[in-house]
Amino acid sequence: MSELDAVPRQALAELLLTVADDEFVIGFWDSEWTGIAPMLEEDVAMSSISQDEIGHARALYELLAGLTDTDADAIAFGRPAADFRHAALLNHARTDWAFTVARRYLYETADAVRLAALARSSYAPLSELVTKMRREESYHLLHMDAWLRRLAAAAHDRLASALERAWPDAQAIFTPPAGEAALLEAAILPDPFAALHERWLGQLRPVFAELDLPIVSAAVPSDGRTRRTDDFAWLHGEFTSVAGSEAGATW
Amino acid sequence: MAESDRVWEVFRQESEGDPMIHGGSVRAPDEELAMHYAREFYGRRQESHRLWVVPREAITELDDPDLLQPPFDRSFKKPGGYIIKHKLEAAKARAASEKGE
Repeated sequence: MSELDAVPRQALAELLLTVADDEFVIGFWDSEWTGIAPMLEEDVAMSSISQDEIGHARALYELLAGLTDTDADAIAFGRPAADFRHAALLNHARTDWAFTVARRYLYETADAVRLAALARSSYAPLSELVTKMRREESYHLLHMDAWLRRLAAAAHDRLASALERAWPDAQAIFTPPAGEAALLEAAILPDPFAALHERWLGQLRPVFAELDLPIVSAAVPSDGRTRRTDDFAWLHGEFTSVAGSEAGATW
Repeated sequence: MAESDRVWEVFRQESEGDPMIHGGSVRAPDEELAMHYAREFYGRRQESHRLWVVPREAITELDDPDLLQPPFDRSFKKPGGYIIKHKLEAAKARAASEKGE
């Protein structure tokens, strides 16, 4: 599929923006651990993983920029906070290591389900990019799984309460983008987000049961990708500060 | 986290067939995280083809100078003094003439 009609094209742009913004915002939040992670080795690992996410965001923004005739920097740094489309899970500040591990585990597992579906997209530029992304994401998931298991053993209650706090907004990763029906019809999105949500829950249940971690019942919120917070407004101010200091400059 | 003081030695290979060369070490509480950290420290820039991650306590060290730097003249144990240049030239000439036949 090289040429898209206007309707699926607009819907694809929305979909790309949701995935890209998720990667971009979690990359920025967790890069805040640079210099202060629990161990030197983890400091390097978390910073490197965060850089990977921003690299994925960049590739997705570039794909989107090609569709919408703009450029990746303008999409990343030229939008007001209200125009971001990341999941509400990523509205929260970095907080402590338990929250970072809890959030990141929920994010990586959900992202893995989403990317497995998008690797089968009928839109070849997307399926090719996602296939590359998955090779890096599989390591991110392994690493967060390692931390989830260690904290479940060493700091169970603290991890459990961080998971309870992150859980409701984590469902927003499966809040579908505007135009989901058009994406399904064009097979750009092979499965509806509701089915991906069920698949994710099905994967988490045995792991959480094994580690005695809580799964709170929560629905996928319809405003899960449009709600913004003061925490995110602060982060947005940080990551746009350099680009905003000299509008139109070439860096 | 006291167990995080465990030290793991990391050996890297740049391409298939190259020798494994000691790259450095990482601290990690267990083998799984040691692998992750070795990958971050010695492989995240695509500079390694293969890594070996070895707990430091598994390494047997030998640094006894009586064994490694014995005091008597050992020059007779070194291969110097044998001049193989002429033998090598003869072997090359032989190989070339066999090929030419």
